[in-house]
Amino acid sequence: MEKKFKRSLEEIRNIVSMTTDFFAQESLDNALRNTVDLATEELFVNMVTYNTETEADILIEMQRANGGIEVSLTDYGVDRFDPTNVTTLDTEVPLNERNPGGLGLYLVLKMVDSIHYEYHDRTSKITFRQGVA
Amino acid sequence: MFEIDFGEDGVIVVVGRLDAAEADRAQAFLDEVPGACVLDMQKLEYISSAGLGVLLKTHKRLTAVGSGLKMIKVSSHINDIFKYSGFDRLFEIETADD
Repeated sequence: MEKKFKRSLEEIRNIVSMTTDFFAQESLDNALRNTVDLATEELFVNMVTYNTETEADILIEMQRANGGIEVSLTDYGVDRFDPTNVTTLDTEVPLNERNPGGLGLYLVLKMVDSIHYEYHDRTSKITFRQGVA
Repeated sequence: MFEIDFGEDGVIVVVGRLDAAEADRAQAFLDEVPGACVLDMQKLEYISSAGLGVLLKTHKRLTAVGSGLKMIKVSSHINDIFKYSGFDRLFEIETADD
């Protein structure tokens, strides 16, 4: 299943609908759902927020993979940014030194089973897998 | 779908999905809370980093005036996200199993 989404946070509800449809179509284990929703939202929001040099839609593809799911997000006409190389977040600092920056990608890297980044011809493609045997 | 409102005994009840599209609305509501605050999360189905940012900002503001934010009836999967985020060391949290 694949769909294109406009660069707007309002699209999150449509992405959730797509994920609901795909899980139903493929009878996927709902235990995977929260991590898939979180990783997809965080990666989408990161593209919308930081890749401001393009107005192109973002492509999201979902496919079944060995009992689990593989999700790819592709962003066109953007600079290279590899989210798998983000600095580890220090979650042990006291409250007054904490800020939410970087938390989203940190959670993605912590929660998904695997993640892969490709970049060519000014196109970024991020693929993660969850629940794959 | 996301809802936030006062419930019984002044507890604030959050319902649904607190994602990046709803974070501003949650923040606007919590910015009006003047002091110690308890959030009932029994019906919160999902939270992303945008929602965590709302909780963190509110907790910092309230802690600075001598109170803070407490979360109750937190589901196990949302509690896992709190733990990954280090929020279990910053907030008073009661899970649904407590």
